[in-house]
Amino acid sequence: MNLVEKAKSLIMGEGRSSEPVGTVHVVDPSPLNWLYITYNTVEELVRVDTQGKIRPAAMQRYRWVDDRTLEVHVRKGERFPDGEALTASSVKRSFDEQGRWTAPHPPGTHFNLDDRTQCEVTGERTVRFRFPEPDGLALGKLRAMHIMSTRFWDEIGFGYERNGTGEGHW
Amino acid sequence: MIDAPGPWGSGPFTLVEGYSSLENEVAMIEDRPLAGVWLDTNQPRTDRLVLEANTDHWNKERGPRLERVVFRNNVAHDKALELVCTTEGEIDIVTEVDPSDAERVKSSEHAQLHAVDAMRIVTGVINRFTDDVPLRDANARRALNLAVDRDRLVREGFAGYAHALSGLTPHYAGGFSGAEPYPHDPEEARRLMSEAGWPEGRALRLAATSDVEPVANMLAEDYRNALGIEVELTIIPDEELLVAQHTLVEKVMELPFDVLVHAWIDLNSDAPPAFIHGAYFAADGPFRAGPPLDDFEELMGSFATEIDAERQGEIAAQIDQFVYDEALSVFLVAPQALYAINRHVNFVGHAATFELAETEVNEEHWSRRNGQ
Repeated sequence: MNLVEKAKSLIMGEGRSSEPVGTVHVVDPSPLNWLYITYNTVEELVRVDTQGKIRPAAMQRYRWVDDRTLEVHVRKGERFPDGEALTASSVKRSFDEQGRWTAPHPPGTHFNLDDRTQCEVTGERTVRFRFPEPDGLALGKLRAMHIMSTRFWDEIGFGYERNGTGEGHW
Repeated sequence: MIDAPGPWGSGPFTLVEGYSSLENEVAMIEDRPLAGVWLDTNQPRTDRLVLEANTDHWNKERGPRLERVVFRNNVAHDKALELVCTTEGEIDIVTEVDPSDAERVKSSEHAQLHAVDAMRIVTGVINRFTDDVPLRDANARRALNLAVDRDRLVREGFAGYAHALSGLTPHYAGGFSGAEPYPHDPEEARRLMSEAGWPEGRALRLAATSDVEPVANMLAEDYRNALGIEVELTIIPDEELLVAQHTLVEKVMELPFDVLVHAWIDLNSDAPPAFIHGAYFAADGPFRAGPPLDDFEELMGSFATEIDAERQGEIAAQIDQFVYDEALSVFLVAPQALYAINRHVNFVGHAATFELAETEVNEEHWSRRNGQ
C-alpha cells in the first residue's frame, strides 16, 4: 500500500479488516449509562474521540457556506442494521423529530438548535442547516442529534411509545 | 434514551437485548427565553443488556473489535469490583472505581487499573446571592481559593488520581487559560477574608452531595485552619437531592449554602464554556448562584457565535481566565475516571464518554478460550 492509499485508508476508516471477537461483561453504575448505550449503538453527525475532541461520524465532512449556513455531507454507504441507507433524508428526519419537542435533551435547553433553524436536503448526501444567527456551538449540538432508522421513529422513538413524549428523553 | 432493543442506529454496536432508560422531571430556569434542564428521578434498566457488533459499521479502523458486550446491571458495584479482581469470566470492566479502591485493583490477580484524564470537575459553587457575607467581593472569593490545599486534596482525597484545577477547564482540554492553580496561602487567605469583612461569629455554610462528601470534609478543614472561621457542613441526603437540585436550578428559594461542593462533567473537550462555564455563571445557567455578570455574558455571546474554531478556542481561554481572575468558584480538582479492567482486555478509555468500539480482548481472554 503506498502512502496515498494508506492515508486514504486511515481517513476512510477502512484500514483494519479483522472481525470482532470475544465477549466482555460490564458493570457501569454511571447515571449516564442510558446515554452511553445510545452512543455505542447510534451515530450522530459527529462523535468525540478518546480525548473528547469532536470528529466527523455519520458526517463525512462539513463546511460553513457563510456564517449562518452549515453544509454537511453525509457519509456514503452507511446503513442501519435493518439495511436502510443512512442518507440526507435520515438527517432531516432526525432534525424534524427533535424539533417536535420544546426541551428534548436531558442536559438542558442549551443543546437546542434555535427553533428558527431550517434544515434543507440539497442532495442525496447533502444537508444544509440555516441558522437565524451565527451558531459557533452547532457542531457540539449535533452530537445530541441522534440519527435513527425509520423503524425507530415509527415504532418507539425517544420515549414516544412509553411516555407519549420525547421531551427530556433525547 | 432507547427503551427497547432493535435495529435503531448505525453505531459500532446494535442493541439486541434489554434497555437502559431514563425518567426525569423538568426544572425551569427562565421561561423567556425558555431555559431549563431535566433532573433524573430514575434510571430503569433491565438486569441484562446486550450489544452485538455491527459488522457493517463503516469505521473498521475504529471498531467494533468485540463481538458482544453484556452489561450485567443486576450485579452491585462492590460485588463487581470483587469479581473483576478475583475471578475470570464473571466481570471484565467495572466503571466508576473509587480512588480508595485503586490499590486493591492494582494489586489484584486478575484486574488492572485504567485511569483516564476525563472531562470531569469538582468545584465549590459560591453563593453570590447572599447579603450577610461578602461573597460578592472578589477578594473574599480569592480567599476561599487561597485557603485550599489542592495538593493534599489530590493526594489524600483522590489517592493521586486527579489534577488540581486553576479555573473550570482541565489543562488537557481546549480553551485552557494556562493559569496556575491558586497557591495554598493560608495567611493571605485570612488577610483577604478579614479585609472583606466576614462577620464575626458567622459560620461558613458548606454543603455537598454525598458523592463528594470526602472532598467537603477536607475543604471544611482547610477553611477552619486557614480562615479561622467556623464551618457548618451539611451533606445533602440522597433522598433530598431532587429538592435541593430544584432549589439550585430554579433560584426561587434562597440558597441554603455559602459554598456548595459540586461535581460536573462535559460531553466533549473542545469548548468547555458551552457546557461548564455557562452552566455555572450564564444568565441561563442551571448552577448559577448569583446575579448574571455583564462581562461574562458578553464573552459568552462572542464565544457562542464564533464559527472559527481557533478563534473560538481563544475566547474560551479568555472565559476561563475571567472566571479565574474573578475567583467565581472555588476551583478544586479534575478527577480521573477510573476503571477496573480484566488483564486480558485492552481497554481504550474516553475522556467524555464510555464507548467500547476500540476495546478488544486478547487470545488469553476467557471468552476466546471458550470460543465465545
